[in-house]
Amino acid sequence: MRAAFHRRVRSALADPALQQALDHNADRRQRARLTALATLPDAEATRRQVAGIRRNTLDQLDVQLATLRERLAENGWQVHDAASAEDACRLAVDICHEHGATRVAKSKSMVTEEIGLNPALERAGIEVVETDLGEYIVQLRGEPPAHIISPIVHLTRQDVGALFESRLGIPYTDDVATLNAAARRTLRPVFLDAQVGVSGANFAVAETGTLVLVTNEGNGRLVTQAPPVHIAFVGIERVVPALADLPPLLQLLPRSATGQQLTSYVSLIQAPRAANDADGPLMRHAILVDNGRTQIAGSDLRESLACIRCGACLNACPVYREIGGHAYDSVYPGPIGSVISPGLFGLASHGHLAKASSLCGACREVCPADIDLPTLLLRLRRDYAQHAKHAKHAQQTWWLRAVMRVYAWTASSPRRFGLALRALAWGTRLLPARAGWATGLPGPLRAWTLTRHFPAFQAIAFRRRVRRLDLAAHPVGRASGGETPTRPLPRPIEDEDLIARFQRELEAVGGEVQRVPAAGLPAALADTVLAVGASQVFLAWQGGALLPGFQSLEEELRRRTAARLLPGSDTRVACSSIEQAAASVGVTAAVAALADTGTILVVSGPQGAQDASLLPGAHVAILSAQDVYPSLSDWLEHGGRSLLAERSNVTLITGPSRTADIEMMLTIGVHGPSRLIVLVCDGASQDPREPRP
Amino acid sequence: MPFPRVQLLATCLVDALFPGVGEAVVTSLTRAGVEVTFPPDQTCCGQPAFNAGFWDEARRMARHTIDVFLAEPDPVVVPSGSCAQMIRHGYLELFADDPAWLDRARVLAEKTSELSEFLVDRIGQVELGASASARVAYHPSCHLLRGLGVDRQPRALLGAVEGLEVHRLEAECCGFGGVFAIDEPDLSGAMLDRKLTAIQSAGVTAVVGCDVSCLMQIEGGLRKHGSGVRCMHLAQLIAGQEPGLR
Repeated sequence: MRAAFHRRVRSALADPALQQALDHNADRRQRARLTALATLPDAEATRRQVAGIRRNTLDQLDVQLATLRERLAENGWQVHDAASAEDACRLAVDICHEHGATRVAKSKSMVTEEIGLNPALERAGIEVVETDLGEYIVQLRGEPPAHIISPIVHLTRQDVGALFESRLGIPYTDDVATLNAAARRTLRPVFLDAQVGVSGANFAVAETGTLVLVTNEGNGRLVTQAPPVHIAFVGIERVVPALADLPPLLQLLPRSATGQQLTSYVSLIQAPRAANDADGPLMRHAILVDNGRTQIAGSDLRESLACIRCGACLNACPVYREIGGHAYDSVYPGPIGSVISPGLFGLASHGHLAKASSLCGACREVCPADIDLPTLLLRLRRDYAQHAKHAKHAQQTWWLRAVMRVYAWTASSPRRFGLALRALAWGTRLLPARAGWATGLPGPLRAWTLTRHFPAFQAIAFRRRVRRLDLAAHPVGRASGGETPTRPLPRPIEDEDLIARFQRELEAVGGEVQRVPAAGLPAALADTVLAVGASQVFLAWQGGALLPGFQSLEEELRRRTAARLLPGSDTRVACSSIEQAAASVGVTAAVAALADTGTILVVSGPQGAQDASLLPGAHVAILSAQDVYPSLSDWLEHGGRSLLAERSNVTLITGPSRTADIEMMLTIGVHGPSRLIVLVCDGASQDPREPRP
Repeated sequence: MPFPRVQLLATCLVDALFPGVGEAVVTSLTRAGVEVTFPPDQTCCGQPAFNAGFWDEARRMARHTIDVFLAEPDPVVVPSGSCAQMIRHGYLELFADDPAWLDRARVLAEKTSELSEFLVDRIGQVELGASASARVAYHPSCHLLRGLGVDRQPRALLGAVEGLEVHRLEAECCGFGGVFAIDEPDLSGAMLDRKLTAIQSAGVTAVVGCDVSCLMQIEGGLRKHGSGVRCMHLAQLIAGQEPGLR
């Protein structure tokens, strides 16, 4: 195993394109993370909060899981427990067979990579299509993702161009927007034809039975929304006790992962389609995957389960930066991968990865859950050394064990230690040297002198020299005091107008905001439809009656545009091709907005707002100025919780859909809309329930 | 003066390979008004075995070190962030299931400081009368920076050296990592190359740090590449020694 690892290391180091890509990844991601964290009033406090939440959860994992199962079932989910990877795959195959599914659309999920879901489904005769752009590309290449967050970090846009030319039959291009458009065109029918959609889960809230999915491209929303059956794979450690725990987790996950304040989409999925919903799957299954996690939870590696899979430790790791993800030969690469892979896949096959670290601690420094990765790596080295002692296929080099034994024996006696130093001093005189530094060491130590010289042992060690030294105090200085330069305090969020803040944040991620008086709303909407050049408009605002002048909106659209006006529930059929989608606008009402991230909230319901906000090329949301809240936690506290309980699906939308999978070049508009236009008006609240106090 | 006397834990690398650094450490401490004692029975803190996964062997060396340095009540000063971290954090991990030794390890951990941390935080000595007209790079070693959170202290000491211009290198591992350097020579070498490139473009005559382990890796690389840039421990700079670990 180690020999193969070393071969992969050498080939990665010798690959200039890979080296360039990895440097680019590390530099960009680390900078973006720091910039994004600086927007929090006190990022360190949030980190402590997240670390506390994750640890408390792990301390009572069984209780939280029992609650989660119960609440999911109450919400109408089919809940399954999978002890092993095989169980999890079999459950999925059975569900597919039960529904006669031959095609599965899948969004990005590390746990499905871990359990080997795709090969299992394919063996059962079921076609699986990865729909995240990066995952789609590695699937076409027949290889695993190279990074938890950036699956194709190892590829250039030229690689993707050549791949699409041969596999999708499009003319070669290295234009990233064109490549993204080709994938979008190919995948759109997949979402609409697949009988089953498969997703993972970033979090699962026990208290409310809510599945949380954090995505950017829109494919995650599509696979959990469009096919009639949704299967979510949930690693059991993804459980989060309460809704109130979500805001800090959502503050750190995107910032740590991609440097975003919030991803384009955060889906809070509560239930399958309700009787009066116009969209959403009829059935939702949750497969709770253990696959070794309970065993890890009972070991002194438990802390590793606090991971929220942001990938920041990969971006910070100097070893990952040299070799990339594939060299680790595990679904989970990088520092966190080296810790959890041995627990999930076995010490014999993956224990050696713990040695592939200089223990520099950069991983812990960036970890949003403050996981002490260096200490966990040390514990694994201890376990691996134990294992290697007994295993027939001992990977541990025999000489290292021998050296350490002799060294410990020597160093536990000052006399032996002193004699050994003298012996080594004599010994190194025999080695080739330049200016007192050995240029070649013998045996396994040759590994040192391949790239470095080694200082010769000194004939008179410090322990002997020190006897001749004057050790008495001879003060020269004056006590200057351990003054600590005061660190500038993080900039507090300015107490600016909530709507202005909302507008600033949304515009920063490519959204558009117009402030209009209530009376001007019909004209503004008609202007927008004309500007987009839409030929179809899907009207999915709910509680329209609450909006004064609701009738005139429709009248104005009819009067001024030639577009077909359709109900939101028609979106899916009328946007089944990319061409149709491009000429369409979905109009929804946002039930709330969050100022700190520039986010609007759209809920499922009879109007089909989920489809209308996702499938057309442009999404226009009508937002009442009254419904802007400072942050997610404010919204949850002031009515958000109860709204969530009433709805199958609440989606947080922060800008148009986006991807940066190819060479981290941002493309706006992937599977979801390329434009998000929010019309903020002074009309009545769009929250369909009681007005807030 | 709160600590008229300290026990010096020289570290095995200084003892065996870089006695000159040990002398500079003594000079720095005595100039700061501290009397130094050198418990002659000291050997190695056990970190090499700990990092390599051989914890029984590491415990053997740790118990010896605890015995040696608890014999006297004086605080312990270590001219290495890595060894100081081993004593402060590693020992607690090693003896987590051994209450008697854990208590003793805690006592030692509490009275142990890295050199720059001791000078600046414990006794408030920054101005030690050093001067050097040179441009040097400061290498923030990983265990010092991240393991102990010590960064401000060595920089304050460097700032007090008259005539010195300091360039702080990126906080990026030099690739030493103890047994990692032998176990994973390709990785260790690649990380070292990155560090050497950064040093080269910094236009300095010397690299200063607080860990001879990293400095040995870096100077070994500089020498292999025929560079004239040399490494030196912070104490050597304070004591007015020439660049070069020896």
